[in-house]
Amino acid sequence: MKISITVNGRLHEADVAPTTRLVDLLRNGLGLTSVKEGCSEGECGACTVIVDGKAVTSCTTLAFQMDGKSVTTLEGIAEETLHPLQQAFIDHDAVQCGFCTPGMILSAKALLDANPHPTRDEVCRALEGNLCRCTGYLPIVEAVLDGAERLSRS
Amino acid sequence: MSDLRYVGRDIARNDIVQKVSGQMRYLADLRPGGTCHARLLLSPVAHGRVKAIDGTEAAKVPGFIRLFTAEDSPRRRYNSALFLPDQQDLKDQPVFTDRPLFVGDMIGAVLAETDEAARRAAALVRVDIEPFEAVTDPVTALSAPSFRDGFPQIVEGRLSCGEGAAPREGHAELTTTVRTPKIHHAAMENHICRSHLDYDDVLVVQSPCQMIFTVRFVLSELFDRPINRVRVIKAPMGGTFGGKQEVMIEPACALMTLATGLPVQLNLDRNETINATRTRAASVGTVRTVVDGEGYFLHRETDVVVDAGAYATGGHRVAMAMGKKLFRLYRIPSQTFRTRTTFTNTTPSGACRGYGSPQIHAITEIHIDLLARKLALDPAVLRLKNLVEPGDLDPTGAPPLGNARIKDCLLKGMEHFRWNERIAAEPGDGRYRRAVGLACATHGNGYFGSPYPDFLSMAIRLCEDGTLLVNAGLHELGNGTLTVVAQITGEVLGLDPSRIVVTEGDTQTAPFDVGCVASRVTYVCGACAYEAAEKLKTLFRDQIAEATGKDAEGIELDGEVRFDDGKRLSYGDAVCLIAKVLRQEVGIYHNYAPKANPASFGVHFAEVEVDCLTGLSRVTDFLAVHDVGKAINPRLLKGQIYGGVQMGLGMALSEELAYDRSGRPKNDRFSRYPLVNAPDMPPVDVLLIEEHEPGGPYGAKSIGEICTVPTAAAVVNAVNRALVTELTELPLTPERIIAALAERESNKTGRGGQEQVMFSRTTGDSH
Repeated sequence: MKISITVNGRLHEADVAPTTRLVDLLRNGLGLTSVKEGCSEGECGACTVIVDGKAVTSCTTLAFQMDGKSVTTLEGIAEETLHPLQQAFIDHDAVQCGFCTPGMILSAKALLDANPHPTRDEVCRALEGNLCRCTGYLPIVEAVLDGAERLSRS
Repeated sequence: MSDLRYVGRDIARNDIVQKVSGQMRYLADLRPGGTCHARLLLSPVAHGRVKAIDGTEAAKVPGFIRLFTAEDSPRRRYNSALFLPDQQDLKDQPVFTDRPLFVGDMIGAVLAETDEAARRAAALVRVDIEPFEAVTDPVTALSAPSFRDGFPQIVEGRLSCGEGAAPREGHAELTTTVRTPKIHHAAMENHICRSHLDYDDVLVVQSPCQMIFTVRFVLSELFDRPINRVRVIKAPMGGTFGGKQEVMIEPACALMTLATGLPVQLNLDRNETINATRTRAASVGTVRTVVDGEGYFLHRETDVVVDAGAYATGGHRVAMAMGKKLFRLYRIPSQTFRTRTTFTNTTPSGACRGYGSPQIHAITEIHIDLLARKLALDPAVLRLKNLVEPGDLDPTGAPPLGNARIKDCLLKGMEHFRWNERIAAEPGDGRYRRAVGLACATHGNGYFGSPYPDFLSMAIRLCEDGTLLVNAGLHELGNGTLTVVAQITGEVLGLDPSRIVVTEGDTQTAPFDVGCVASRVTYVCGACAYEAAEKLKTLFRDQIAEATGKDAEGIELDGEVRFDDGKRLSYGDAVCLIAKVLRQEVGIYHNYAPKANPASFGVHFAEVEVDCLTGLSRVTDFLAVHDVGKAINPRLLKGQIYGGVQMGLGMALSEELAYDRSGRPKNDRFSRYPLVNAPDMPPVDVLLIEEHEPGGPYGAKSIGEICTVPTAAAVVNAVNRALVTELTELPLTPERIIAALAERESNKTGRGGQEQVMFSRTTGDSH
């Protein structure tokens, strides 16, 4: 099936099988390996990407469903310098093994794009589909709240 | 020690920019051409015999290369925890088996040109298995007919000290049985391995593992290859928690490379990682404690049945490690420990953060709270009467406890958590009940004093531009190992950690190290790094003196070379000068073996709110107090604690790998295995006791495992206080809580609870 999909601002024409998942297209087709696969059933959130503004698990999304849509991966959120959220993750040590980090940052970004001043509760809710076994989430939540501050200042 | 520049500071971890920008290349992210992909064939039955495997349909899949079965497996069996030839643990695991002993046992694999082809072909392989009766409960396994084909069904171990306590007037005792669950490590990265044959017939294995030299040893034995022709390289790792500690899928991957000469990548899915690798061992422990009239412990007996799962692995080591902790937290003049490791038709257990410590502490610390209740004592007060003191010895003859600051932890924690005030508050009698609980814990710092030798070497070199290379067999697990070693060496040499590279393990180039396990990295490897850096500093100073003709006494090394005549030289220029004049490298090789194995300690305080209608428990406040000697990097250290608490909460409330009667896993996927997520986490306050541990670098000792050890017991104790229950079967799921409440109600209306305590207190206290 031929689809047109915008990934990180660039338009791609892709020929995908009906069973090709978005995660496969991104990782294997486009080499965007920041997208991680952890559970293959949309439970861990490691494969989270942003599709037209919403955080979506790319392991439970089929590639052909993305025809005409715009997808953002972690590779697409920083240009010359790190995104303020990424910097906040560094400053709060919100990363240990790093495997959940891309999905975490994208879930957080989708939240902040829609709700620039979330409460702590709203941050926790936005991250509830992203599992992390290393950090206990607390530094991540701090980083997202701080990231919101930084974004509203910039 | 405020003059420290890098130690004790929140230095950012070395790889964090890569990780936040998605540039960290884990094994699955590497895409060199020519690699073949493998998928495992896992047993769908818990116990059985493979009658036939038919790969006819699989072979028709385009890209199919080869089917592997038990016939391709070496006759030799292995034990995934061994790292030296003299270790005697049972070698009972085959690479591929035709006698599967659990759902997930590897009966073969399919190799294909692409991952997709390997998956498709694996799904088309027809396996005919005759199923047998399965044993899934470790206690039943004590007397069930053995499925182990001649290997023992029970491995027993004992430890003891003292001579028992004769019953006396005024003594009291309590017996409690606690069950802890089988748990999945849940590292976010699933298991993965790559192997290929390099020039000179060297088998190269890349694995996100914790013990490269163990992997090398096991592969060398299994495939009968010289050790120097097995090269194991530690790959970037998306979490482990012990799940990637033992040799796991490397043998299957290497087997396929050796049989075909092809480069192979073997990936596991989540469901396969849960079923086919390792788990935290389930345990059933019965504790009997005898106390005198004032609450001092006189004697304790602990009997623990540990579920090894289907193969020996490191299961019995875990059981013995449990026993050792019993003698290092409280002063108990007489104590016995017996463990029986039994085998069930379930996923093998093995190392899991704490190596038995969270289990044994759940068993004893829940028991101590119930004992305190029977004695009508504040559980903190009962503990304070009995906790060890700095300098105490281990009554079994194991290494002394060192600067044991557990009482400081408890006393400071009580104050910080407002324990006295909160313990006095009533839980309430409405739908929501609230109460606090605490638990104490101890854990080790390496292998010293155990049957396993603890040592390592490091080679450290100053480069021509003044940067430093620390060549070590380390494994970054995500916990900050490399950063901490850079801070320690940087402190000694006056070098900013950003100018230091600490290598991860590669058996062909790194000095030997037993592995990043056993809470030994900061205390043991960190001490090695400290001594190595000191040695390098001395050498460097002498070399500069010789090359410049100046007096070594007048040379200061502080990030640059300072002479007493006011002249300065950069490290890089000094290295080049030494190269030119002396024709020498500025580098040393240092071997280190620890001479102590002190105890680390922690106390966790939890506040819970239990909904009596739904049975759901929520942890609403948490304090973790830890005796860490010295925090090399306080922010990274706290990160360890937050994660440890999170794992412990899961053990207390939600995580359990369960099996049906036929041995089929009930929840071998994340959608059925409830992990703690962001909304579940309570605020966690951390209090560090930094009183300097002799032998540790800058006085530091371990944190990575101890920080998950007391958590579950603290939470359970809080729930039992909130509900006035005696819940001892973990996790405290809503079903178990509702059942306990119902039982309490029926006891109230009936004859009253089962009186387990025999309290023969007379008028005067005999102590």
